[in-house]
Amino acid sequence: MFEDIPVDVSPMYEGERIRAANMFVELAGPKSMGAELVQVEENVEDGKVEVIGPELDAMQEGDIHPLGILIEIQGEHLEKELEGVIERRTHELCNYIKGFMHLNQRDAIWCRVSKEALEAGFKLEHLAKTLSILFKEEFPLIESIAVTIMTEPATVEEFVSKANEEYQKRDARARELSDEDVDVFYGCVMCQSFAPTHVCVVTPDRTALCGAINWFDCRAAAKMDPEGPIFEVEKGDLIDDVKGEYTNVNTVVNEKSQGTVERVFLHSVFEYPHTSCGCFEAVAFYIPELDGIGIVDRDFNGETPLGIPFSAMAGQCSGGKQVEGFTGLSLEYMRSPKFLQADGAYERIVWLPKEIKDAVEEYIPEEIRDKIPTEEDGTTLKEIRSFLEDKGHPILERLETIKSETSEEEEEEQVTVEEEPILMEEMQMEGETMAPVAYAPQLTLPSSGGVKIVFKNAKVYAEKVIIKKK
Amino acid sequence: MIIAVSGKGGTGKTLVSSLLIKSLKDTEKDILAIDADPDSNLPEALGVEVYKTVGDVREDLKEDTAKGRIPAGMNKWDILDYKIMESIIETPNFDLLVMGRPEGSGCYCAVNNMLRRIIENLSSNYDVIVIDAEAGLEHLSRRTTQNVDVMLVVTDKSKRGILTAQRIGQLADELDIKFQDLYLVLNRVNPENEDEIVQKVKETGLDMVGIIHEDDEVTQFDIEGRPLVELPSESNTVKAVNGILSRILK
Repeated sequence: MFEDIPVDVSPMYEGERIRAANMFVELAGPKSMGAELVQVEENVEDGKVEVIGPELDAMQEGDIHPLGILIEIQGEHLEKELEGVIERRTHELCNYIKGFMHLNQRDAIWCRVSKEALEAGFKLEHLAKTLSILFKEEFPLIESIAVTIMTEPATVEEFVSKANEEYQKRDARARELSDEDVDVFYGCVMCQSFAPTHVCVVTPDRTALCGAINWFDCRAAAKMDPEGPIFEVEKGDLIDDVKGEYTNVNTVVNEKSQGTVERVFLHSVFEYPHTSCGCFEAVAFYIPELDGIGIVDRDFNGETPLGIPFSAMAGQCSGGKQVEGFTGLSLEYMRSPKFLQADGAYERIVWLPKEIKDAVEEYIPEEIRDKIPTEEDGTTLKEIRSFLEDKGHPILERLETIKSETSEEEEEEQVTVEEEPILMEEMQMEGETMAPVAYAPQLTLPSSGGVKIVFKNAKVYAEKVIIKKK
Repeated sequence: MIIAVSGKGGTGKTLVSSLLIKSLKDTEKDILAIDADPDSNLPEALGVEVYKTVGDVREDLKEDTAKGRIPAGMNKWDILDYKIMESIIETPNFDLLVMGRPEGSGCYCAVNNMLRRIIENLSSNYDVIVIDAEAGLEHLSRRTTQNVDVMLVVTDKSKRGILTAQRIGQLADELDIKFQDLYLVLNRVNPENEDEIVQKVKETGLDMVGIIHEDDEVTQFDIEGRPLVELPSESNTVKAVNGILSRILK
C-alpha cells in the first residue's frame, strides 16, 4: 500500500521523538507557526496531493519552517460535526511515518523530519500521500480525500487564521456538548489508593472533582491507557434527568466502590451526592439555617459560614464517603449549565469566596450575581442573612415557603429549624456564652424504641467541656 | 539503558551524573539526562540553561485548567506532551529534562499520571538515560520509569553517607523499583585512608564500582561555578568516571 513511500509506515513508530541532534528540519512548533484542519467539502478530487511552498529538498538542515496540513474530505454520510473527531487522528497517523514526528493538535502542532528520513528520499508529498491512504482506511465514510501541505509563510499564516475560526466554532459546539448528547460517561478510580470507595463520574457536564480532567481528557485517557484508572461507563437508562441519575452509572459505581455507594446523583448535594476523594478543588455544603448552599475552595484559608475552615470540612466529607449535604466539585463544574441543577443552581448558592466568584462570574446568572455574598460581605450566618435580605436573594422566598410548609407538620420527621437561625455568636444562656464544640455532617444518637435519630449538619454547643481521664 | 544516580545530598551525585554524560557522548548514543532532584544543579554542571521545568509545566497546566483557558475540544495529554517536549533542553550531545520544583497544594494525581506516561514514552526514544535522582527515591518511583537498569549510589567517606547508601538499597526494594545492578561509588576519598574506607564499605555488602579521589580541580570548578563537564580529559576524576561507565556498560 505504501510502496511509493520511501520510509516505513507503521503504528510501531507512534511515540517516536526526533532529537534536535538527529533532526533535518523542524516544522511549526514553538518557534514557528502551523495548524492542521480537516474539512468536509463538496467536489473533493480523490487522491489529490499538493505541496504549497518549499519541499524538504529545498530546505537547509536545521531550518525551521511553518507548516499547514489541510485535509479535505467528502462522503455521503460525512457530517461537519465529525471534522473534529477525524482531525484528532492526524497526530496518530502522522506518527506512523518513520522519521516524522508530530505532537499535539490544531494550531499547536510541532513536527520534525529526521536526517535519516531525508536521506531515504522522504518528501512532504509523501506525508500527504500517506495521510490520504491512512485516513481512508481508518474512516470508511470518507469517499474522497485531498491533502494539501503548506510551508509557504504567507499561505500558512492565512491558513492558521482560517483554521482558528473553525476551532472556535468547534469549541462552542464542544462546550454545548451535554450529558444527553453522549451514551458513554467515564469513571476514574485514580484516587482509590487513599479513598478506596470513591469513584469519580466524569460527564460532559461534570468534570472530575480535582478539576484536572474533563470528559474529553477521559476519552483520550481511556484510549491511551486502556488498563489505566480511567474507564468507560455506559450511562444506561435515565432515572432522573434533573438530579442526574442513570441506571448503569449506579451499577458501575456500586461495583467499583465495593458495594458502598449504591446510587449517585450527579447534580445534587442532597440524598445521594457524588462522593469525594479528597482532591476536590472546592466543596459545596448545605447551610441548614439558610436552606442554602455555600461553596469553599482549597485556597480559602478563613472560616466558612459553618464555623470551620476548608481543611476541616474536607476531612469530614472526603475519603469516598457519601455525606448528604456535601459534595466535592471542580471550579470548572461551576461553569457547567447543570451545576447543582437539582438543588436550584446558583439561586441556591448563598456564599462563596471572592476569588472563585470572580473566576466564574460570567457563569452566574446576571440577575443573581450581586446577591451572593463573599467573605468580604461576611462569613457569619447573621452577616450573610442580612446581606441576602438587603439584596433580595431568591433564597428568601424559599425560606418563606418552607416555613409555611413545615408548619403543616409532615410525617417525614425531617426537623427543620423553624425559629430564627441559631447563631454561634448569639448563643447565650443565663449570661454564659455557649461555644461550638463539635460539628458533624451526620450524627446518629444512640436510641431505642424502633426509631433512629439522625442529626444532619449537627452543631453541638456547650457552656463547658470537661475532659476527664477514666 | 537507564542509569540512576542517587545518594545523600552533597555527596557528589551531580558530579558523577554530569561526568557520566560527558563520558557517554563519545559513544554516539542518544542520551537523555533527567534532573530529578529539586535541590540539584545538574544543568549548571552540564553548562546549560534551563527555561522551563516539568514542575513549571505542571503548574501552568493546573492554572490554565482552573482559569478555564484550555479550549473545550482539546485534551490535556497532547498539551502536556507538547509542553514537556518544549521543556527539554536539546544539545548536540545530550538532551536534558529538569523535573524542577515540587508540587504545590491541591491534587496532582491526574497530572502526574499523565506525566509518568509521557515521560516513559519520551524515554523510550533514547539509548541511555541518566537520572540525577533525589536521595529519597520517591521521585523515581512516581514520575519516571520503574525499570532502572543500574542504580549508582554515591557516597562520601562519612559513616552517614555509607548508611544512606545502604538504606537506598533497602528503600528501592520496598518501593518495588527493579534494577539489575546496584553499585556504590565512593567519592572524595583520600589515598591515605582509602584501605580503611574500602574495608568499611565491604562490610555493608554493597558492590563498589569505583573510587573518586579528593580533587582540588573539582573543588576549584565548584568555587568558580564552572560546568563540571569542562573538566579536562586528563583529570583523574574524569578518568575515574570513565572507568565506572565502562564497568557499567561491561
